[in-house]
Amino acid sequence: MRAPLTLLLTLAAGATALEAQVDYSARLGVTWATALVRDDIINEIEVRQKLAPTLVLGVALPIAPLYRAGLELALATSGYQSNEEGGTTVDLGTLRTGTITLGLDGPVSHGLRWRAGVGLLRYLPAEDQGIFLRGGTTRFLAGAGIDYRRPIMTKWDLMASLHYDFHRFTTDELEARGFSQSQGVQRIGVSIGLARGHR
Amino acid sequence: MNPRRWLPLLCLAGGSVLLSCADIAAPSRSGAYEWRRIVATASGPDTLSFHWPQARLPVRFWAEDTLNLPVHVQQAIDQWQAAFLYGEFRGELVADSSIADVIVASGIAPKGGLSVTRLESLMAPECQGATDIELDASGHQILPPIRVYVDPRFDPAAPGVDACMALTTTHEVGHSLGIFAHSPNAEDIMFADPVVAELSPRDRATAELASHTEPTLTAAPR
Repeated sequence: MRAPLTLLLTLAAGATALEAQVDYSARLGVTWATALVRDDIINEIEVRQKLAPTLVLGVALPIAPLYRAGLELALATSGYQSNEEGGTTVDLGTLRTGTITLGLDGPVSHGLRWRAGVGLLRYLPAEDQGIFLRGGTTRFLAGAGIDYRRPIMTKWDLMASLHYDFHRFTTDELEARGFSQSQGVQRIGVSIGLARGHR
Repeated sequence: MNPRRWLPLLCLAGGSVLLSCADIAAPSRSGAYEWRRIVATASGPDTLSFHWPQARLPVRFWAEDTLNLPVHVQQAIDQWQAAFLYGEFRGELVADSSIADVIVASGIAPKGGLSVTRLESLMAPECQGATDIELDASGHQILPPIRVYVDPRFDPAAPGVDACMALTTTHEVGHSLGIFAHSPNAEDIMFADPVVAELSPRDRATAELASHTEPTLTAAPR
C-alpha cells in the first residue's frame, strides 16, 4: 500500500513544482493583415480582412535556463471586404480566425523576450459565400515577435507584445475557380495584457 | 545583448519574407461570352450593358405563387449569388410585388419593351421563358420592375416540366442581372435553349465580367 501512496505523493509534488513554473498570459489587441486574395476582373480587386480585435491566451514552460516552450491560442474577429480599383468597396461579412501556435521564447535584454513559433490558422467565415463558398480553410503559419514584461505585482507582469506571422492563403472555392498558387498573407498584431508566472 | 539569441528570430523573419512574396494567380476568364445587347439606332449600333449597382442590393424578386415559382426563383438567386466571389450580386424574395425590382410570373410575355430574350426552347420543349426590360425615353435607364415570364407548354405535372421551369427561371434571372445576350454554348445556362440546370464556369466568368464592366444603362429608383 505504501508504494502507490508514495507514487501519488511524488506525482503531486511534481505537478505542484511544474505548476509553479508554468507561465500564463492573457492579452487583448488588434491584428492587421495584408490582402487575402488579389484578382483582376476588368480592374484589380483585392479582398482584405479589416483590423481585427484579438484575444491571445498563452501558456509556457521552461525548457532551459533561458528558454521556454509555449502554446498560444489567438482568436480574432472582424469584417472583411473587397476593394476594387476605382473605389468600390463591398463588405463581405464577418470573418473569424483561430490560431494555435507552438513556440519558443528567449531573452533579449531587460524585460524583452523574442518569440518564434509555428502553428495552424483556421479561417471561420460567418457565412459560406464568395471566396468561402465551400467553407473556411486551415493554413500552416509561422511567426515571430517581441514581448515586453514589466512586474506590477508579486506574481503578475504587465505584458505587451508585437507579433508578426505569415501564411499562404487559398480556399477550396478559389481552387475550384481556377486560382493557382496561393496568396502570401502577412499579419502584424499588437496586444497588451497580464502574465503570471515564476521569475 | 548576445547576437546568438536573435539568431532563430532572424532566420524565421528571413524565411518568411522569402516565402510570402508571391501572389495568388487569378484564373483566366477568357471563356466568357458576349453578354451585352447591341441594338440598331439611327446613328448606328448601340451597346447596352447593365448590372445592379451595390446601392441597389439586394435585388428584390417577387415570384407568383404558382407552379413552384417561388422555389425556382430562390434557387436561381442562390445559383447566381454563388457565381460571384466579391459580393457583386445579392438577391432576396419579397412578398410585396410593389417594391420588387424583378417580378417573376407564369404565362407568356404580354408586351414588348426591350424584350431581352423571348425563349423558344427547342431542346427543352416543355416550357418557355422571356424577360422584358422597359427603358425610358432616353433609352438608357431601366424602368423597374424587370418582368420575367416562365410558362409551361404542357400540363405542369407532366414529366420534365418542373425541371424545365427551374432551369428556365435561372436563365431568365440571369437576364435580369445584366446578361442580355445568349451563350453560343449548349452547356451554359445562358444558351438560348438551355438544357443544363447549373451555371457553367463560362456563365460565372461572364457574370463576373458583366458586373465589373461600366454599365451603359442605369436603373431608375423603384
